[in-house]
Amino acid sequence: MIEATDIEGLLFHHRVSQFLFSEARMLDDREWDKWAALFTEEGTYWAPASYEQPDPIEHVSLIYEDQLLRKVRLARFSNPNAFSLQPFPRTCHFISNIMIDSHEGAAVTVSSCFQMTEYRRDKPNQFNGRYVHDLVDMDGSFKINQKKAILVNCDGTQPSSSIYF
Amino acid sequence: MATLIDSGHRSIDIDHLAQSDKVHRSVYTSPEIFELEMERIWEKTWVFVGHESQVREPGQYYATRIGRQPVLLTRHTDGEIYVLFNRCAHKGAQLVGDCSGKVKELRCCYHGWRFNLDGSLLSIPLEGGYDGTDFGKDDPQANMQRAPRFDSYRGFVFASLAEDGPDLKTWLGGVASSIDNMVDRAPEGDLEITGGVFRYEHDCNWKFFIENLNDLMHPMVTHQSSSLTARAVAKKALGADTPAPAAIEILAPFTESYSFFDNMGLHAFDYGHGYSGGKTSIHANYSDVPEYNEAMESAYGKERVDEIFAVNRHNTVFYPSATIKGAIQTMRIVRPIAADKTIIESWTFRLKGAPDELLRRSILYCNLINSSANLVGPDDQEAYRRQQIGLESQGSDWVAMHRDAGRDEDLGDGHIYAKGSSDLAFRNQYRAWKAYMMNGGQSDD
Repeated sequence: MIEATDIEGLLFHHRVSQFLFSEARMLDDREWDKWAALFTEEGTYWAPASYEQPDPIEHVSLIYEDQLLRKVRLARFSNPNAFSLQPFPRTCHFISNIMIDSHEGAAVTVSSCFQMTEYRRDKPNQFNGRYVHDLVDMDGSFKINQKKAILVNCDGTQPSSSIYF
Repeated sequence: MATLIDSGHRSIDIDHLAQSDKVHRSVYTSPEIFELEMERIWEKTWVFVGHESQVREPGQYYATRIGRQPVLLTRHTDGEIYVLFNRCAHKGAQLVGDCSGKVKELRCCYHGWRFNLDGSLLSIPLEGGYDGTDFGKDDPQANMQRAPRFDSYRGFVFASLAEDGPDLKTWLGGVASSIDNMVDRAPEGDLEITGGVFRYEHDCNWKFFIENLNDLMHPMVTHQSSSLTARAVAKKALGADTPAPAAIEILAPFTESYSFFDNMGLHAFDYGHGYSGGKTSIHANYSDVPEYNEAMESAYGKERVDEIFAVNRHNTVFYPSATIKGAIQTMRIVRPIAADKTIIESWTFRLKGAPDELLRRSILYCNLINSSANLVGPDDQEAYRRQQIGLESQGSDWVAMHRDAGRDEDLGDGHIYAKGSSDLAFRNQYRAWKAYMMNGGQSDD
């Protein structure tokens, strides 16, 4: 972990935090196009299905998506025949414990804890865990190379969900 | 034959509930019927326990359940596998509290009784305390108890909690060939479970899931939003001339035409088993992996490989507990919890001797189709859930299974065929359900 020891460090931590907050806000506000544009072209979204999963290629993942599969999922969100999204779930993403794990040149790795409440009908579902964002600091803002959402119970029994953690 | 079962305040008339072409809504909603299913189906028939590759080495165990009962699949130092009740012979505590592991012996967390992995008792602390009592170390009840019957077919271990009944091979009958085909697809003729597991909670009765697997009238409706969207997004992003990546090859066939699914065909056998596909399926048009074909040909010779690849099945159901897709090497296991709660486990296999690309495709398939958080499974689950709620209504007492009734083709030897859009798979499962519920499955009416 990199501790902020001067004002520059604090400002950088603040920038990173604001980025994570606004990314989460886009998910809550269903700003899908803006959210998708946060990723680099090679950027991946990964929700592993085991806690220390070595890779997303030879082990199953709850979600492992490149840009093309993200486009499929996001396009499905507005499809009138996406039955598991009716009514469309409301979410509240809560992010805390933001720590910068590494920062070399433009590459930044950030860990945070998250709680996502998802409400569609009946009772809300809780999804909790840790995010690891691999970011690239470019043109005064960040792009996501990988967003990893590691649910604390990722290898446990999971309810249906069709959206991003 | 007694068909009336006295259950609390109500009688359950099995003969009335499951008819040849319709089934009563209460078979999905009634907790009493669920309890009876546990007793008469799940705790009697052959239920899938695990794959031998999960306990490859002596000392390995894998914990699971048969119906409601906790069991262990173990490999003992004698090299044999055993299916034991996961219960200490002393005060009943589960001996193993986690899912899998490797140990020298099983030691109870409560009073320290120690057992071998074949269930035999090793030691009791202060053993002398039992001297002169009606209980002692030599009493067979001092061992962990084994499931009455367990057996393996080409690495797939099933167990039955009934002392009597057909042997595993007889029970598998015509669907054993689906296991054969999956194993034969490995150049080394062996499979390994690998790559983790999904445990997906379904808010519905277990039968909705097992019925849906060979319901070929649903994909083009239920999965329209994922499959058609995948086709459209890929076409727009890649252009019409670029070959579709593996993910799109997997998603696109879910919205093939009715005639495509009709041609896949349905095959039904005794005990509720069956499969869809055969000569073709939604898995038939995946891109070739040349290295794999070469490995297969050098292992089996071209002629035999052509025979193996000519068999391309979709889902094979080993009623009631398990289902495999041999052509893409995945397996789903049914764990009934309550009348309206089921857990579906998804596993993936490595074809031993095949290039890694085959495993990677199976993993991708599992992610896209079987994950609780992905594009296909949640829409199935939504349909089951709506059935679960809809069937609480008094709108009608009946669920129809009439499609193409009376038009089945008898291929002999208990093998029945119908086109893909037929309700054959449902009717066949309820024929078995009824036999189990009425006579413990001993005769397949």
